[in-house]
Amino acid sequence: MIVIDAASPTPPYEQLRAQLARQIQDRSLAVGTRLPTIRRLAADLGLAVNTVGRAYRELEEAGLIETRGRAGSFVSAAGDQALEQARRAAFDYAAVIARVGIDPTQAIRIVEAALGNASTP
Amino acid sequence: MREADHAEVGRWLARHGLTDAEPTPLLAARLAARWRANVVGSVLLALFMMGAALTHALRLPADVTSSWQPLLVPAALVVGLLTGQWLLGRWVRRADRRAGARLSRRVAHPAQLGWAAVVGRPYAVFTVVSFAGAALLAVSVLPVPDPGLRDGAIVVLIGLAGAGVGTVVQLRQVLASPAVAEDEASLTADVIMRVEDARALVTPSLVWMLPVIFLYGGSLGWWNAASLAFVVAGATAFCLLQVRSAAVVTAARRALATR
Repeated sequence: MIVIDAASPTPPYEQLRAQLARQIQDRSLAVGTRLPTIRRLAADLGLAVNTVGRAYRELEEAGLIETRGRAGSFVSAAGDQALEQARRAAFDYAAVIARVGIDPTQAIRIVEAALGNASTP
Repeated sequence: MREADHAEVGRWLARHGLTDAEPTPLLAARLAARWRANVVGSVLLALFMMGAALTHALRLPADVTSSWQPLLVPAALVVGLLTGQWLLGRWVRRADRRAGARLSRRVAHPAQLGWAAVVGRPYAVFTVVSFAGAALLAVSVLPVPDPGLRDGAIVVLIGLAGAGVGTVVQLRQVLASPAVAEDEASLTADVIMRVEDARALVTPSLVWMLPVIFLYGGSLGWWNAASLAFVVAGATAFCLLQVRSAAVVTAARRALATR
């Protein structure tokens, strides 16, 4: 289920992107699932077509969905690649933390804060 | 929301297994539009049947039956009924849109709900077979040397073509109309309404009715028996389909379950 709250300070495209990304990552949206068309989802959520288009574009750039022409957008099998990307980024982050000498507990708190900001609808 | 509406929506929710959902003004507005449309739709169908019976009773003398005039009134009745049904469908969608426009929090399903999930393949096959059966019956009656019967067969074919196009167009609207939901319960209710609307649309009541009403010549023939048999077979198959196929709630929940 996707929820768009007009009263939330997070922009609607980011609410949509984050929720779809989370559902793809945790496999509630299986690989190969056909997503609604941009126009359809925009109508369902009461959003502008460009807003949904932006969320889809960012998901596509992240390798989470793929667009197959007129057939529509599908959850990409590249979800594993996204996990791999995240894993690599985590290693890079760990290297930076070790280099600048920040305490690991504090480093985890920084990540949690960043994730909290990124995924709050 | 009025007390009576609240109770009515509560009963609808309970009937569809949504006992934990609260009757909301959103659901009340959407259901009220559907109930009114159903009442007006039934009245339209009754008027159509009475009108069709009257055209038979007041049929013009045999010397003018070869002209196009005897076709005019029945064809106008069919067109009027189809137009009325289409306007009712449009009115319901508009009521949905208005209800949705007032929501500050919108909820949608992240996966595409296809026609097979909403209508169900058994219903689709049954509808196509019903249309084909009625068309075959009308075409096979065309060579019979009875002008009244031939005119009837033409009206049946016009009606079937109109009903077919109307069903496809309205079905597309039902499938493509925006979800109107503010939480999980109303999203489930939205899909239930969609399944109900789609099933009501593909129920071939007019398709059964047309041959029985219009394939009725000056003399009794095999076509009368065939038209009646068509209705009996269709109604029996429809009952079996309803018993054997998944209930509306099950179909809706299955459509909602992400693959």
